[in-house]
Amino acid sequence: MSVALRTTGLGVRYRRADALRDCSLAVPAGRIAALVGPNGAGKTTLLHVAVGLLTPTSGEVSVPGRVAFMAQDKPLYDTFTVAEMLAFGRRLNRVWDQEYATARLTGLGIPLDRRTARLSGGQQAQVALTVALARRPDLLVLDEPLANLDPLARHDVMRSLMVEVAEQPLTVLISSHVVADLRDTCDWLIVLGGGRVQVSGDVDDLLAEHLALTGPAELVDTPPAGTRVVEASRTGRQARLLVRGAPVLDPRWSARPVDLEELVMAYLRSPQASALPALAAVRA
Amino acid sequence: MIWLTWRQHRAQILATAVLLTALGLLLLGSAVEAKLYIAEHAPPGCPGSAPACWDLARALADRYDAVYTVFGWMPIVAPALIGAFWGAPLLGREYERGTHKLAWTQSVSVRRWLAVKLAVLGALVAAAGLTLAAMVSLWRPVFHQEDFFGNPGVFNMVGVAPAAWWLYAFMLGTAAGTLLRRTLPAMALVVAVITLTTLTLYKSSDHYAEPERIVLSDTTVLSDADSRRVSDAWVDPAGRELAAPPSGVCPHPPDVGRGDRNQRAYERCMFGKGYRFAVYFHPPSRFWRFQWTEAALLTAASVAFAGLAVRRTLRRGV
Amino acid sequence: MIEFHLDHRSGVATYLQLVHQVKQALRLGTLRPGDKLPTAREVVDALAINPNTVLKAYRELEREGLVAGRPGLGTFVQRSIGGARLADQAALRRDLDAWVRRARTAGLDRDDMETLFSMAMVDCFREDTA
Repeated sequence: MSVALRTTGLGVRYRRADALRDCSLAVPAGRIAALVGPNGAGKTTLLHVAVGLLTPTSGEVSVPGRVAFMAQDKPLYDTFTVAEMLAFGRRLNRVWDQEYATARLTGLGIPLDRRTARLSGGQQAQVALTVALARRPDLLVLDEPLANLDPLARHDVMRSLMVEVAEQPLTVLISSHVVADLRDTCDWLIVLGGGRVQVSGDVDDLLAEHLALTGPAELVDTPPAGTRVVEASRTGRQARLLVRGAPVLDPRWSARPVDLEELVMAYLRSPQASALPALAAVRA
Repeated sequence: MIWLTWRQHRAQILATAVLLTALGLLLLGSAVEAKLYIAEHAPPGCPGSAPACWDLARALADRYDAVYTVFGWMPIVAPALIGAFWGAPLLGREYERGTHKLAWTQSVSVRRWLAVKLAVLGALVAAAGLTLAAMVSLWRPVFHQEDFFGNPGVFNMVGVAPAAWWLYAFMLGTAAGTLLRRTLPAMALVVAVITLTTLTLYKSSDHYAEPERIVLSDTTVLSDADSRRVSDAWVDPAGRELAAPPSGVCPHPPDVGRGDRNQRAYERCMFGKGYRFAVYFHPPSRFWRFQWTEAALLTAASVAFAGLAVRRTLRRGV
Repeated sequence: MIEFHLDHRSGVATYLQLVHQVKQALRLGTLRPGDKLPTAREVVDALAINPNTVLKAYRELEREGLVAGRPGLGTFVQRSIGGARLADQAALRRDLDAWVRRARTAGLDRDDMETLFSMAMVDCFREDTA
């Protein structure tokens, strides 16, 4: 398994506060990884370090291939025409696929002679995405690409991005504070809470490893053997647990699978909990 | 990168070129017209220093009052405009619109991006300043006003001063843009600092060199009108310089209105009693020395501001 | 040709939804041996899902011997589900009918039964993957 992005013990300090603390993670090549967490968790900081916009205070980041970045709010030069945005990409990059960029935008029905300020939000996102994709990156980093887009534009942007992934070897790292946006698209999950990496792993594995348990309230402090409690709560006479680990045998507990949103929320509500692969496993 | 620099800043570049051209035409037009006027109205022997020629000089001054007004403000307005429209947006606008995150994640390094922009735009700004200086140097003699040195307004429009001033304003604006990360506040800061710099340099220019001293025994006026007077004092018959004009030696009734008859009578009386008048001044021959001193000060400040902008940009806190 | 659709509220993993839809089409005869499944790109373009999910579904179908990938050409249906399988289904359905009647007599309502059924499904599939 080759790795498209690896960070080791990453820390970023702003004035007095830690924006990131001891972040170690790896995104395997070919994955579409979701970086989720509440606002202010350090997602943007982590992405900025990954693309080289920010120098970390401690730790290391390594990106073996070419990386392209689409920043939050999808910045474009608003006095440039779409064609001039492509000229910008062509002149500032060693690798640039002009034919692909033109074909992609024409295919999306975006006029090349229009000023970017006069495009719709969805079209602006597509132009920004094209400028990133035409660099033929190995790793594409997108910071909140769906924010400020209407539902139709969100779907279109995501759909066209998925088509790109289907057609070329590409690793994608997408940040979002809305988990639902990434449910069908991401196969790798990174949960960032309070500047720490809490979860990093394959989505299907994570969903298979976690269970939601319901049982009598008196059992809330004695979770079934072989499990690790991520989050525990009790309401009236019922205890609810979200656990990671082996199947539950105790008949007093009833179990059901968790969905991605539940899983993320449980971790974010329990800042001490984490589900990380051993570093050795990640290196393998 | 050159293309990007041109594309992003062509509005400023073209506007500056248009303004310089317009100013050039204005100067050319007024110079041609003034030549014709002089040819037509000058009494024999004029232009010259004869009193008969003063009327001509005054008539010319009245005629071109508007041109002089445009001109009088140039030394402070032009750098303010350069700083506000060339310097402040260079990084301020990138930060404001978030486009720095686009520009600085391409293959071209931030170092190169900034180096090309500062070098290309800095060179253009300096060239524009030199162009202005050349135009003014050609225009001013038409009016027989050899005041390149004595008049600080004109001094800052000729030689290397405009180039140094404009470069300073550009780098100041750039640094303000990185510090404030917003264009408008950076523009305001530029105007404030330019005003402050103008006043400071005006006050400190007397110290660019040790003033010369001359002791006059029949007049208080320097023979070369283009000199810069630093200070003056009466000298008593014993040769001591007096801090204040001596009282009780000659009557000194104040002049009424615009005349200076009483003042002149007072001076005649003082010289008659053996007093002399010492003047500390810079002669016009120091023109280039002052030009280069001012240019060196401004260029050093420009380098400091450029260094600040580069440092703030490379030590990335996004 | 099959057109996939997604049910977000079902809670069933996306790749499994694709697998089920192919199997259903095989049972109903809308897909027959030799038919070509849509390419990952086509599915992705329609559903805006991760292409790896489509590939995972196709691998699962391949593992069950229902489809086969031909490099450079696409994924083709190998065999249909029918005959014996449908007969099996009828027998299972009879068992399930009997179970539902028993549960009803025991006083369980619709929701109780659904809860029990899904719990049994969860346990059963976890044993599979474990």
